[in-house]
Amino acid sequence: MSLPAAQGGPEGSPLLTIRGLRTYFYTESGVAKAVDGVDLDIAQGEVLGLVGESGSGKSVTALSILRLIPDPPGRIVAGEILYKGRDLLQLSWDDIREIRGNEISMVFQEPMTSLNPVFTIGMQVMEVIQAHQRVSKREAHARAVEILTEVGIPDPEQRMKQYPHHFSGGQRQRVMIAIALVLNPSLLIADEPTTALDVTIQAQILDLMLEMKERRAGASILLITHNLAVVAETCDRVAVMYGGKIQEVASIDALFDAPFHPYTHGLLGSIPSVDGKKAHRLTVIPGSVPDIYHLPVGCKFVTRCPYAFEPCPDIEPPLIEDAPGHWVRCHLYPHGGTPAVPPPAK
Amino acid sequence: MSTPEPAVDNLTHVPPDLASSMLPPPVTTTPPPESLLRKRLRKFRRLKRGYFSFVFVVTAYLISFFLPLIANNIALLVRYNGSYYVPIVHYRSASEFGQAAFGDPDYRALKQQFAAAGQGNWVLMPLIPYGPNEALLDLPGTPPNPPSAQHPFGTDDRGRDVLVRLAYGLNISLTFALLVALVGNIAGIAVGASLGYFGGRIDIFGQRGIEIWSSLPFLYVVIIIGSVIVPVYTPGRYQLLQPSLWLLVVILAAFDWMGITYYIRGEFYREKAKDYVGAAIATGVSEPGIMFRHILPNALTPVVSFAPFEIVANISALVALDFLGFGLPAPTPSWGELIGQGMENLTKWWLVFYPLGVLFLTLLLVVFIGEAVREAFDPKEFSRLR
Repeated sequence: MSLPAAQGGPEGSPLLTIRGLRTYFYTESGVAKAVDGVDLDIAQGEVLGLVGESGSGKSVTALSILRLIPDPPGRIVAGEILYKGRDLLQLSWDDIREIRGNEISMVFQEPMTSLNPVFTIGMQVMEVIQAHQRVSKREAHARAVEILTEVGIPDPEQRMKQYPHHFSGGQRQRVMIAIALVLNPSLLIADEPTTALDVTIQAQILDLMLEMKERRAGASILLITHNLAVVAETCDRVAVMYGGKIQEVASIDALFDAPFHPYTHGLLGSIPSVDGKKAHRLTVIPGSVPDIYHLPVGCKFVTRCPYAFEPCPDIEPPLIEDAPGHWVRCHLYPHGGTPAVPPPAK
Repeated sequence: MSTPEPAVDNLTHVPPDLASSMLPPPVTTTPPPESLLRKRLRKFRRLKRGYFSFVFVVTAYLISFFLPLIANNIALLVRYNGSYYVPIVHYRSASEFGQAAFGDPDYRALKQQFAAAGQGNWVLMPLIPYGPNEALLDLPGTPPNPPSAQHPFGTDDRGRDVLVRLAYGLNISLTFALLVALVGNIAGIAVGASLGYFGGRIDIFGQRGIEIWSSLPFLYVVIIIGSVIVPVYTPGRYQLLQPSLWLLVVILAAFDWMGITYYIRGEFYREKAKDYVGAAIATGVSEPGIMFRHILPNALTPVVSFAPFEIVANISALVALDFLGFGLPAPTPSWGELIGQGMENLTKWWLVFYPLGVLFLTLLLVVFIGEAVREAFDPKEFSRLR
């Protein structure tokens, strides 16, 4: 298989390059190919959105980057993840532990359970610092106060002595962001960081993440979400995932203005709109995600695709660059950005 | 087809003025930091029966370490011919105080002798002037002697004061039970944590190994070991430093550690899947750090709530072994040995009633503690309102 060239980004060589990543889960009901050949580039300083519905493999992709896949049952069976010239999949566990939290860190979906209930907030922030750097307790404390102030925790000196259950969901997510960013990592992976939060808090947390990124020159964010509105608000580029594969990669404008892949069409059509036009119903992608143990041989979307034609069920289309910086995995392309079959009328 | 661009302008989008007005989050009044442990301790303190049992048992246990100063046949302080002697610290022979005898002086006789002579010499005896291994053969009749004013619990079949021996026995029983629980729990936690954390083959084979080990008949193994390594009493050495005591601790702990592994294993299985563990791994915390700093404190509830009942079991086990004669070597003051004497002398009620009464009372109090601990650590109370 020839690996696609760099998908490009705003500037120069990518910070992280994923090629042919395959992460399988070996369970009693069979082999679940959660991630089956993902190619993705994250450029320096960009915010890349990774979108897809539940079970599309986006979280597993993120966990694979930090090698956090529970083994057993999961295993990264193939691929390479190049970070600053080093293949993360070849590193020893000690080396990967040095990367975690230091160079690449992660914010999880559930702020209510992501903090250890038996330790104070201060201890948990300081632990990350002390896990990676030889600093005195006093210095770690000072850095923790500083980062908590930065993420907008009022009265951090006092709050550091408190336990997670004294914090609200939004504040806990602020703490999680503080823990993730205290060592100024180059890449922040945010795995649905706002899904568990109130709508009003979601905007605050997203703003905070972008603000923190702006203060750290060259830092990138990989934002995993199933919420296209979040992507539109925050990201520079978007990658759409389905059935364990990247289906489309494009800049935010290109994707929302002129999506290529039928699945992306479906995703965008299923967003409710608030500006007039209440006449039409939301479009629905027919069917549901294919069984993870029995994915289609050819295109993964074939079972639900309104345009499916002769080669689709049998031959997997390659990920091709159909317009500059706009990649798509669909038999309808290449056609210079114009679908061979017109999208169905609404 | 409608253009998707404006469609995203909803749900999470907050108008900028509203967003900025929200941005410094409202300053909340900071509640006093209180850990879950402190909440539980406060609850434990409210459970009067368990709490007072705890205070009583702990106080009695702490006092029992000073028993050589409270119940002993060696004088605390002697003034003899103008100088002071502290026989409890430095051994003095009988001849040093002008007694016509070899070996240990009889301080009780010396006290009477000095008082009668009236030469300014005196002897300060402990509150109860009888030693735990001292045979009081000058009492009227033959031992066991019934309770009297000097010996409220009577004496045993070798003329030793039952009250003093029961008091020393408390120290030995509780120390022994605590040591076995400590050693057993350390081993059990280490094994259970490994089984639960690593899972897979280690778990399956480890559990089968534990099942085989726990099917060994405890009492027979102890009897066999006891007849191979004959426990010896080293005279003069402090009772808790007797090698036989530690041998017995190791043997009992070797049969005591399995119970807790199942609970710790289960806790680790549950806790390792929780998000905070994943988050800690993602920040680069090392594996031992994850196991022992992050998961273990969250998995200690069964250890704490089982501990009192384990202590009950260990006290009973030591009593049973001493009763059968496979426990601590004679003449260690032990409850089981006294109960054994009671069985041989069923008509001497004080040898039956007092040792059994003290054993019963101790076990009852420890069970009360256990009940209160279990209630205080009941997770339901704090999760009900969440």
